[in-house]
Amino acid sequence: MPLISTRALTKRYPGVTALDALSVELEPGIIGLVGANGAGKSTLIKILLGLLPPTDGQATVLDLDSQTQGPAIRQLVGYMPEHESLPPDVSATEFVAHMGRVSGLPAGAARERTADVLRHVGLYEERYRPIGGYSTGMKQRVKLAQALVHDPRLLFLDEPTNGLDPAGRDEMLALIERIGREFGIAVIVASHLLGEIERVATWLVAIDAGRLLRTAPLATFTERTGQLLVELEEPADELARRLAARGIEATADGRVVIVDLATGETVTETGVYDAVLAEVVALDLALVRLEARRHQLEDLFRGEADVHVA
Amino acid sequence: MSTSPDSASTIYDLGYRRYEGPRLGRRGAIGAIVGAGLRATLGLGRGGRSKIIPWGTLVLGLLPAGVAVAIRVLVGDIVELYSYENYVWGIGALLPIFIAAQAPELVVNDLRHRVLPLYFSRPIGRADYVAAKLAALSLAVLGLTLLPVLVLFAGRVLAAEDLLGALGDEIGALPAIFGSGLIHAFVLASLGLAICSLAGRRAYAAGAVLAVFLIGGVISGTLQEVGGGLESIAPFTNPLAILDGTRQWLFGGGVAESPVTGAGVALPIYGLATAVLLGASLATLAVRYRGVST
Repeated sequence: MPLISTRALTKRYPGVTALDALSVELEPGIIGLVGANGAGKSTLIKILLGLLPPTDGQATVLDLDSQTQGPAIRQLVGYMPEHESLPPDVSATEFVAHMGRVSGLPAGAARERTADVLRHVGLYEERYRPIGGYSTGMKQRVKLAQALVHDPRLLFLDEPTNGLDPAGRDEMLALIERIGREFGIAVIVASHLLGEIERVATWLVAIDAGRLLRTAPLATFTERTGQLLVELEEPADELARRLAARGIEATADGRVVIVDLATGETVTETGVYDAVLAEVVALDLALVRLEARRHQLEDLFRGEADVHVA
Repeated sequence: MSTSPDSASTIYDLGYRRYEGPRLGRRGAIGAIVGAGLRATLGLGRGGRSKIIPWGTLVLGLLPAGVAVAIRVLVGDIVELYSYENYVWGIGALLPIFIAAQAPELVVNDLRHRVLPLYFSRPIGRADYVAAKLAALSLAVLGLTLLPVLVLFAGRVLAAEDLLGALGDEIGALPAIFGSGLIHAFVLASLGLAICSLAGRRAYAAGAVLAVFLIGGVISGTLQEVGGGLESIAPFTNPLAILDGTRQWLFGGGVAESPVTGAGVALPIYGLATAVLLGASLATLAVRYRGVST
């Protein structure tokens, strides 16, 4: 049973298409949902929670239909919204226990799990004080705790590091990683910050303007591109010309030459390396860097043609 | 989670524990909101200052009935007990105070601090949330519109020499007592919550509730004084008078001080006015909460 499955999921608002025929199948893990602001991440989460009807298409979460079984889904998932959403005048303990009960836990279980969960997110003595006096980092932890209190099978985190300082971000990311790996809860982290997603996710779903760019294990997003990057101290045009003369595809860009490792039948990959070195020596160039080029997550959103090939 | 009994790690184990117990779903969720709402309305689990108004008004509401009954039981037949229909009208001033002070607790912060998305991501819908809050406030208001009258009822029965005879005499009043108490509580709670749901802060909400009742009452009184036909519209500017008229229409029994007396309006009109008031309140709530984004 896939964790989440969508088929041609579409959400149109007057004048805007928030989701455009999105089809994706996801298995449990820490799933990064990346896209620029307004790419449709929050819309997708709300449809999956059964809070928003799609214009077209279907979605199932934990094998439950998002349109007809919303309450059943919401009993088994946790949701941490992007914005501030905590009442200032109650304590974290009181609030999280209450939300646990609203998730369907009996009173005793809600109290026990509140104590557990607040400890896991790292709130101690301060949990008895009103939330209004908390720092942003502490509030984020309370938001996470209320999403965890009922031991969900799946957690939706919408921009969980929003508003946090670098140390706070690190702690939040470490916490997310623990939840996914140690607690065994599937996590979907929506974020526009690729660098952060990269650190915790095992799988990545990239969307742009409501369309699926790519869904794949994180590693494949950063795999080798089949290109060699050669950086010099001086302009690289001559090197590129000489390589081209040897039948190797090479394009110069300032002090950098991008060399195609799989140029064709005539030159092998090792042959390319040899040729590059030979020409660098022949031209007496100062070599700064020689590396197999990898995809950058950012490439996804730069519209580079080759990244779209899944 | 270690299962070996001799392991010290059982005590120090900080690992994550799964929850395998029952999940109570939507009913559990609604019950939790009603329970928490009732506690908030009564100031339970909060500081002493939060209890002053709810408990003060409840005590004041019970006091006349309690004292009258006590005198009747201890001293005898020297005072006339209040009539059931008079009682709620008599303590009517306490109702706006109670609602103005306590209804904002239920709804304003959830709206203002955007807590609702956290509720809506749980196994309930918007209507469930509003219904649960409404139930909590209605139950609390019953402490003023039903409880004291039941005390009065108990007093009348228990103070009589012939207990069974008195019970037989009084029991016929129970439908009116419950009916009137429930209608008052539900309509006033709906009106109160609707007003509060439109306010940005608790203080404004409290002020708005008081204003509606006070201004309504003053206009009503003025119209009554001026007379010349205006007395017939006097009851309709005051929610408590509208409810009193409805009570008379359904269960009978006039109240001398109520503007309903002397207005000369056919009683079913009050029922209609109550329906309009309730409908407008519920419609306001529906529109207000439909507009809240998840």
